[in-house]
Amino acid sequence: MQSVSTLERVLRGIAITVIILFFMFPILWIFLMSFQTNETILRVPPSIFFEPTLVNYKALISGRLEGSTATLEIAFMSNLYNSLFLSVTSVTVGLLLGVPAAYAFARLKFRGSEDIAFTLLSFRFAPPLLVLLPLTIYFQQIGLADTYVGLIWVYQLIVLPLILWIVRGYFEDIPADIEYAYRIAGHGFWATFRRIALPLAGPGIAAAGLLAFIFAWNNFIFALVLASADKQPVTVGALAFITASGINYGQIAAGIILSIAPTFALALYAQRYLVEGLSLGAVKG
Amino acid sequence: MSLELHDISKSFKDDKVLDGVSLSVPEGKTLVLFGPSGAGKTVLLRLIAGVIEPDAGHVEIAGRNVDGVEPEDRNIGMAFQNFALFPHMDAHANIASPLTAQKQGKSAIEAGVQSLARLLKIEHVLGHKPKELSNGQKQRTALARALAGKPKVLLLDDPLRNVDAKLRFEMRLELPRLLSDQNATVVYVTQDYKEAMAFGDEIAVINGGVIQQIGTPEQIYLSPANVEIARLFGDPVINFLDVTPQEDRDGVFAMISDKRVNLDAGHKHAVGQDCVLGIRPESVLFVAEDHIRAVPVTVEAETPLNEKTVNLCLTARGREIMASRPSGTPGPATGPAFVTIDASHAVLFDKQSGALIPQDESAALPKGEVA
Amino acid sequence: MTTATAGDPPKRTFKISKRYLPYLLSLPALLTCIGILIPFFTAVAYSLQRYRLSQPWAREYNWGANYLNFLSDPSFWNTLKVSLTYAFLTVGIELLLGLGIALLLQKRTRFNNFVSIMLLMPLMTAPALASLMWKLMTNPGFGILSYFAELLGIEDMRWASDPSTAMLTVVIVDVWVYTPFIMILLLAGLRSLPRQPFEAAELDGVPRLFVFWRITLPMLTPFLLTATLFRVIESIQQFDIIYAMTQGGPGDTLTVFQVEAYLNFFQSTNVGRSAALLMILWAITYFLSSVFIKNWLRLRERARGEA
Repeated sequence: MQSVSTLERVLRGIAITVIILFFMFPILWIFLMSFQTNETILRVPPSIFFEPTLVNYKALISGRLEGSTATLEIAFMSNLYNSLFLSVTSVTVGLLLGVPAAYAFARLKFRGSEDIAFTLLSFRFAPPLLVLLPLTIYFQQIGLADTYVGLIWVYQLIVLPLILWIVRGYFEDIPADIEYAYRIAGHGFWATFRRIALPLAGPGIAAAGLLAFIFAWNNFIFALVLASADKQPVTVGALAFITASGINYGQIAAGIILSIAPTFALALYAQRYLVEGLSLGAVKG
Repeated sequence: MSLELHDISKSFKDDKVLDGVSLSVPEGKTLVLFGPSGAGKTVLLRLIAGVIEPDAGHVEIAGRNVDGVEPEDRNIGMAFQNFALFPHMDAHANIASPLTAQKQGKSAIEAGVQSLARLLKIEHVLGHKPKELSNGQKQRTALARALAGKPKVLLLDDPLRNVDAKLRFEMRLELPRLLSDQNATVVYVTQDYKEAMAFGDEIAVINGGVIQQIGTPEQIYLSPANVEIARLFGDPVINFLDVTPQEDRDGVFAMISDKRVNLDAGHKHAVGQDCVLGIRPESVLFVAEDHIRAVPVTVEAETPLNEKTVNLCLTARGREIMASRPSGTPGPATGPAFVTIDASHAVLFDKQSGALIPQDESAALPKGEVA
Repeated sequence: MTTATAGDPPKRTFKISKRYLPYLLSLPALLTCIGILIPFFTAVAYSLQRYRLSQPWAREYNWGANYLNFLSDPSFWNTLKVSLTYAFLTVGIELLLGLGIALLLQKRTRFNNFVSIMLLMPLMTAPALASLMWKLMTNPGFGILSYFAELLGIEDMRWASDPSTAMLTVVIVDVWVYTPFIMILLLAGLRSLPRQPFEAAELDGVPRLFVFWRITLPMLTPFLLTATLFRVIESIQQFDIIYAMTQGGPGDTLTVFQVEAYLNFFQSTNVGRSAALLMILWAITYFLSSVFIKNWLRLRERARGEA
């Protein structure tokens, strides 16, 4: 066989370094920026040496932006809260709706079940605005415009297919005999679902939930179209925030860091399931 | 409770797995379902258990049609071939599951689990999860779980398939006693003819979704309904020889290697027909050269098979014949030898259809001469 | 059991019939989605109407007129061109880069696993926020990348605000966010390949380039196909990155389908045109996703089989 030459090793090393630099540098740089004031951010040439400060985070958390001329109220924390609330409730609703449906699709093959499952999946690939734009008009008519309920409903568009298809795979992996054995032992359908199917698909359900949370949290377009300022999640809020605060770059950076931290943490926690979730169950990690 | 199946058919997509199966097991008896894999045995058990439903026909338990009765309401115990233990529950909880379903009290559950665990010698592993159990312990746990609810109908799906030889041997000795203690109606599925012979009050041979023969173990062994069943029961495999029975004033006979082999007079109606003669290897006997019916053969190989020794012999015309004799009795290992055929238990099949040619009882004169 | 003697009928408690159970279980999910199907049909209707929010009195069906108008509408052709260019560039670069990285990290070492997890971080960043990050880095005043550009001798690089570099900028952001997606899929694919062909090739001293083209790539094809289709479908619909970065500007440089439809709806309030644009996008993605789903199903079957 060909031995790995020194040259090849060096080239590999360089390639990996460049790759890590490209993908990590933006996060690192914004992270550093979030501990700086405009004064150090605007230096030429830029430098990674500065006196770190927490003022940006303090301002965001307290919700008061001290400008040179006036004090500005900012709603960043409420955006963060909205993100959390929308994602958690959407995923909860998605799990409540999706897990039983996934079980039906996995176990009780019924007439039209495959077609329905595919229709649900195809939502995942349709242009979201196609649904969102008419929905703005409908929501106005039925009073769901700019409500959490309306948003959570629409969030099912991304949450539900994901949960359905991942959890379905986990249900299908449970040997049918195990469920039969519990039925034959004398337990009813619901008891079997609750005490056999749910616990055994537990890891998959948790993974689907975490991934759905990440997708919901990162969503931008739904809330941009359907939510006004007080219901906006961070993805939309941060954009408005940039226009509002204009020149306070350190705070923008701090806002970004606060907004991406939760998904990073979850992704680290759920990394084992990421591949499977991202490919909707097509590839196992 | 008796168990009856009436004309059950079941297809999966275009694949007909069961085709008009009817069976009946009297209360307290054991029926063995014997057949190769893919014969439809497991599907049949699932139909009885009620986890799948037949396309046609119905199941009766204690004389009552149980169509549409959910599996949990059928009072059945079932042990699965792959054990199907609940992986997230320990052995104790697994065994207790039928008892909790019956809403028994804590002490009753405890007593029930303990007594079964003692009976099956798994008391020391009750706290273990299935993945911490050995195959044998899994199998015993599965069996205990099937018995725990004191079911009146017990379905055992090849329970000894996935355990090692030693354990299989032990269980073959233990199980019959265990089953008779239960006083349950048992359907036992197996692919092993020895298990079938050992456990069954009756054996139903199933193949391709059709019941081919039902009978006592003895009936199946001595008069298999067709060539295939004759081949499946018995080890070493039965010898098949193409013959055309003839008749003269001494009776019915067939010629094998130019030697006359007398057949039962009941085979008279098969005279002149192309037939297959089935001869169990233990009916092929080594004899001295001067025996009047001695057929010269060449012994090709010898294989000791536990208590038996099996010889593969070749006749002058190149036909293969297996002979089996109790180990330790004299016989040639290789080389030329002479055999004779005891035709008293020979069975005759139609060459075309492979079906048994039954003996005509009215013609059953004194048995053919034992050579 | 002591309670049930042989004469007892099997108990027949009230049970939901088996026939209806699957529907009962999946109905809530279905209803939720039907609520979303209705707007879809509304969108079809809108696309066949002359409908401006600012002139509700003039609303009427003009049937195919919105679509016919596209033929002679340079701004539509611009949208198509920009969308396709964007999809082609992003997916092309991401595929090459993703495959390269996956090959580099193929060996299961602690270091490689660590790097691959780190590389997932951009993918976990909301695309809209990723745009903001790059906006901060490409700010002409203090952006670090503008500074680097200057070091390289490019004076006054204006990134997304310059029509000549706007596409480049958003493509970089997209590549930054989504390359890890392709990388992680291909990495899983590479690591799931059977070893024998590679070991045999190595024993026979087959050149590695040959092994790559004739063994690795063909075996990786289903994964490549899934990853590519997944990305093309998403990329041709890209909204977040472009909208957060430039809102489609400067001018109409980056008015991809969804951005153009959004602006048509909310700025020029031309609902009919907006809906027609989205219908065309939908047709494209529908075609792609039907190809995709077939391939995806095959892979999924295989993944289930291995489990």
